[in-house]
Amino acid sequence: MPGERDPLPALLREFERLHPGITVQSEPLPWTADVQHQFFVINLEGRSSGFDVLMLDIIWVPEFARAGWILDLSDRFDAAARAEHFPSTIDAARLDQRVWAVPWVMNVGLLYYRRDLLERHGFAPPKSYEELARQALVVRGAGDVRDGFLWQGKQYEGLVVNVLESMWALGTDVLGPDGALLPDAARAANALAERRRFITAGVSPALVTAADEEVSRREFGAGRAAFLRNWPYGLALFDAPGSPVRGRVDIAPLPGGGALGGAHLAINAATPHPAAAWDLVRFLTRPEAQRRIADAVGLHPTRPALFESPALLAIFRGARARPVTPWYQTLSATLQPELSAAITGVKPPARALDDARHRLHYLLAR
Amino acid sequence: MIARGERRFGFLLAAPALIVLAGVTLYPVAHVLVLSLQRRVPIFGIADWVGAANYGFLARDPAFWNAARVTLTFVVASVALELVLGVAVALALQRQHRWRAVAVALLLLPWCLPGVVTARTFEWIYHPTGILARAAAGLVGAGSTNWLGDPALALGAVVAADVWRTMPFVALLCYARLLGIPAEVYEAATVDGAGGIATVRAITLPLLAPVLLMVALFRTLDALRAFDLMFVLTGGGPAATTETLAVFAYRSLFQTLQLGYGAAVSTVVFVLVGATAALYLAAAGRAEARR
Repeated sequence: MPGERDPLPALLREFERLHPGITVQSEPLPWTADVQHQFFVINLEGRSSGFDVLMLDIIWVPEFARAGWILDLSDRFDAAARAEHFPSTIDAARLDQRVWAVPWVMNVGLLYYRRDLLERHGFAPPKSYEELARQALVVRGAGDVRDGFLWQGKQYEGLVVNVLESMWALGTDVLGPDGALLPDAARAANALAERRRFITAGVSPALVTAADEEVSRREFGAGRAAFLRNWPYGLALFDAPGSPVRGRVDIAPLPGGGALGGAHLAINAATPHPAAAWDLVRFLTRPEAQRRIADAVGLHPTRPALFESPALLAIFRGARARPVTPWYQTLSATLQPELSAAITGVKPPARALDDARHRLHYLLAR
Repeated sequence: MIARGERRFGFLLAAPALIVLAGVTLYPVAHVLVLSLQRRVPIFGIADWVGAANYGFLARDPAFWNAARVTLTFVVASVALELVLGVAVALALQRQHRWRAVAVALLLLPWCLPGVVTARTFEWIYHPTGILARAAAGLVGAGSTNWLGDPALALGAVVAADVWRTMPFVALLCYARLLGIPAEVYEAATVDGAGGIATVRAITLPLLAPVLLMVALFRTLDALRAFDLMFVLTGGGPAATTETLAVFAYRSLFQTLQLGYGAAVSTVVFVLVGATAALYLAAAGRAEARR
């Protein structure tokens, strides 16, 4: 957990008071996904029992489960307990019909829009990406803002997330329900082509091809754009005192649902203390603990019951998991350069996806 | 002539060092070679013998050829610029009399910075609404330039950052060599009526050549394994236009944990680097023999 208001130490001390004889140590890891992933791979592949409970990026759970590094929690984490969390968070923790981690904090892609500008033009928040594009062009054309729709198009995980969201809006995905790669390649190419069109038609500025979350968040926060796709962390920043867009930003669900992000807690398969580790997982994922984390650092709970804002609840309910597969890292790393080639106009979208599929067939030995 | 016993004793003395060297170089190289003949994803317990299949796929993999092309472009462009600018700066330093120590210290600064810090700094410089983009917009009057997001510009932007960072290395080594050229040589040239440019061509550059060759070797090998700048600045993008072989190998090895394919990529890079080094050393040998 980042920052000075880290609620974790207090939570751990409380757990120790409730469980005499147990002391819990937290080990902070670098805040970069790549480095965290490497830390876990090295330690878990070496069967290290140096830690009992792990905080996992949601996309790693199936990979770690398949590698045999984390305990199957299906029996401990029963159906009634699972039902208290958003279904998407449970789906993301599944492999072979078993559940391997407990949802802890949650993120979801959402649409920020400038309420003042949309009202001026008599628009309601867009329900589809075409509508979003039309509105962005009108608002831009009127000279109200420099840019229309900002998103993350740099060659990295964020680009995969954004393109997935476009694919979902068109009713397709990178992996089909049966695990087939690009089950509807034509529709997937259309989704990718739409992102390219956003740039060529002036819906989105060229800078999105180098933009990550922070670049796009700052541009929108400076009042230079009408729409932004980002995670919920921007809300507090846009409404902070001194923000140029304070009181003028509202949120809406993304047309096809936003990507699910966040972290789960899992138990190291090599732990000598599985029972105590499970107690800790249960303690940290309780409603009270999740609420305290939300209040302190703005990471959202994975339990619908803890949401007060109906608008936010609706957006979180619409969250969709990225392809749930042990091979997600390979999938994403292979897609990233190809998606980037498509949105920058270097390759036609259909060929970019075809090239990615070709590589994946070899790397996944299909 | 050395007696045989003495030679054997010499080998004996060198043996510990040779064994350590073999342990840290030959063993990993052999291991990587073996890995490259497998489909190997250790975390999933996958270890299938595939023979030369990884190399076969690599030969047809457009992503690999793209990385090879990017690496070659990066090496040629950055090393050429660094050599030309480095020599120019060294010559300027040689002629400068006041504040020379300050100039050298300033020159050293970019070279001292860790690569990641340099990359982060350039990230701000190249930011779509950053200083450079605004300046370019002011000059040309066009919209802001998307340095790191435009496939036509990104590699150039990374090369520029690399030149800024490593040109001082070239300049300093050349400058050190220039200090070693006796003043009499220049005086003789002046007496013979040689002008400034003629002196540089006939005296300075030939005397610099051995140093330049060494510097070029170092820089080329460094550039061949370039990683940090592009990894931080662009992540290899956009459209993999800044994805060097090192970044490509990193993706295969550490991000996707496809150790077999990653090992095949590494082996090719290893051969490439080895061949380049051999070429340079042969050139250096010829230059040595001519003198």
